[in-house]
Amino acid sequence: MNTLLEVRDLCKTYHKQSGWFSQRSVIAVQNINFTLAEGKTLAIVGETGSGKSTLAKLLVGIEKPDSGDILLAGQPVKISHYRQYNHVIRFIFQDAAKSLNPHQKIGQMLDDVLRFSTVLDPQQRKLKIRQTLKQLGLLDEHSEYYPHMFSGGQLQRVALARALILDPKLLILDEALTALDPSLRAQIVNLLLELQQKSGLAYLLITNHLRLVRHIADDLLVLHQGSALDYGNTAHVFANAGHDYSRKLINSAIT
Amino acid sequence: MLLLDIKNLTIELKTPDGLIRAVDRVNLSLREGETRGLVGESGSGKSLIAKAIVGVLNKRWQVSADRFNWCGQDLLRLPYDQQRKVIGRDIAMIYQEPSRSLDPTAAILEQLEEAIPAHLLEGPWWKRSYLRRRKAIGLLHKVGVRDHQAVLQSYPYQLSEGVCQKIMIAMAIAKAPKLLIADEPTTALESTTQAQLFRLLASFNQLKGTSVLLISHELESIARYTQSLSVLYCGQLVEAGETASIIKQPYHPYTNALIKSVPEFQPNLQPKTPLYALPGSIPVLQHLPIGCRLGPRCPNARKECVKTPTLERLQNHYYSCHFPLIGKKDL
Ligand SMILES: Nc1ncnc2c1ncn2[C@@H]1O[C@H](COP(=O)(O)OP(=O)(O)O)[C@@H](O)[C@H]1O
Ligand code: SF4
Ligand SMILES: [Mg+2]
Repeated sequence: MNTLLEVRDLCKTYHKQSGWFSQRSVIAVQNINFTLAEGKTLAIVGETGSGKSTLAKLLVGIEKPDSGDILLAGQPVKISHYRQYNHVIRFIFQDAAKSLNPHQKIGQMLDDVLRFSTVLDPQQRKLKIRQTLKQLGLLDEHSEYYPHMFSGGQLQRVALARALILDPKLLILDEALTALDPSLRAQIVNLLLELQQKSGLAYLLITNHLRLVRHIADDLLVLHQGSALDYGNTAHVFANAGHDYSRKLINSAIT
Repeated sequence: MLLLDIKNLTIELKTPDGLIRAVDRVNLSLREGETRGLVGESGSGKSLIAKAIVGVLNKRWQVSADRFNWCGQDLLRLPYDQQRKVIGRDIAMIYQEPSRSLDPTAAILEQLEEAIPAHLLEGPWWKRSYLRRRKAIGLLHKVGVRDHQAVLQSYPYQLSEGVCQKIMIAMAIAKAPKLLIADEPTTALESTTQAQLFRLLASFNQLKGTSVLLISHELESIARYTQSLSVLYCGQLVEAGETASIIKQPYHPYTNALIKSVPEFQPNLQPKTPLYALPGSIPVLQHLPIGCRLGPRCPNARKECVKTPTLERLQNHYYSCHFPLIGKKDL
């Protein structure tokens, strides 16, 4: 199994101004280590404020770590080279649907993504857009649609199309499945599982929805106050969590 | 005794093109001390029903019912003022987004004290403000907020979503309601806080005999806290009965899909295998299918389904489907 992503001793502290002369620091994440192989799914769970979002921001280069390394296929990732790898790691948020520009047709939006990050010519871009829509169970005509013309489920697919059109190796889902209705969630989960099987896509699932984690994640990392408490094979962590906090979190979801 | 007994509740939106029927002839009842779950996807009409019960729908909506009884009294026949008085006294509602439902400009103490009705304070008038304060503190303790001093002086934005939610509950139980309606009370909360909240609601139910109507789009999160269940699809009641027997043997294809799509209810499902999913998505109100509204997505649909199925009953289990998932011999 090829290691896709490796994170070593990642640390990040925020300094907040509190009052005129004093600063308060918040340790957002500290000494985080994990690896993620091609075609695998790692879930990162923890409560609000546990550092999940910070970790995601560090991985996509929106924030810079204070120390530690992020290695992508063995190569260290540098913020200054963000554009070089932003098509390898893609990101999808909870309100993915709302982040689409309401005045832009879907085809145009996807074309912009390709123009920004690839050297494809217009003809090739058109073909790529068509293939991607098809892959996500959407139609050619949908290129001409504006976001408001889609149902919630289709919009989620459009957001996935935008993330996947660059053939990333890793997709980070930040609470992207949590708020979905059950039948829609089941559809999207099936789609993600199928894509993973076909193209070896890896997922980093950031969530506090533990029931889903058990079904789709190979590995699980429990984050609490910026530190990793338990990390390992999902079934193993569910059965033998080492920390009280992890056990409490797991029990709240399954009992 | 039946606390709430609603028959054929219909809620329609007035539009320039005529009425759009968002909730279609739904039956709903609650016994004293009962905890009932109301589940359905977003847009299925759950919040409309809740709002119709507490009478807070605005003028764009038209509400009608063959029967709308509260403690044996038909509310829709009462004069408006009377209706408001009965509901205000007996029914309390907890909304989806706590931090937005609290007044951002007032301290918690003020908001909580305001929610305590005067008739629940027993004592001479000169002691009223002291009693009110005591009661406010007592309410916070009841919902599991121990640090009452700090919380009472805070403004909503200074508190976490979980604490705001508890304050909403404290305000809701301040008037000792007979029925507590919780509309997706946990969507904004973490899973540990969610569990706490449900346990809290269950404890009011057990200690005080308060009836609870628990609304959610996730069957799995409310199933273990409810005795009975009503399942909505697209504004229609598709199935109702005891929670345990519905989970064990759903009669309606939609309920069946809800249960099967959740890994938690499928202990034998191998990790990373496909989940059961109905094709397509919930239709918009402007383009409802003719007959059974699940028709276009239903794996069992046949030509009879272009006729709207009626609500059938088998013992305490109600369903509306021409081809329920039970052998005909049981009928
Ligand atoms: N831009 C920021 N400036 C200051 N503090 C921040 C910032 N982003 C996050 N934090 C703090 O870092 C900690 C971790 O937050 P976050 O990564 O957002 O966790 P989560 O995603 O689990 O909610 C929190 O205490 C939060 O207040
Ligand atoms: S009435 Fe027909 S379409 Fe509707 S749920 Fe039953 S079988 Fe399916
Ligand atoms: Mg977050």
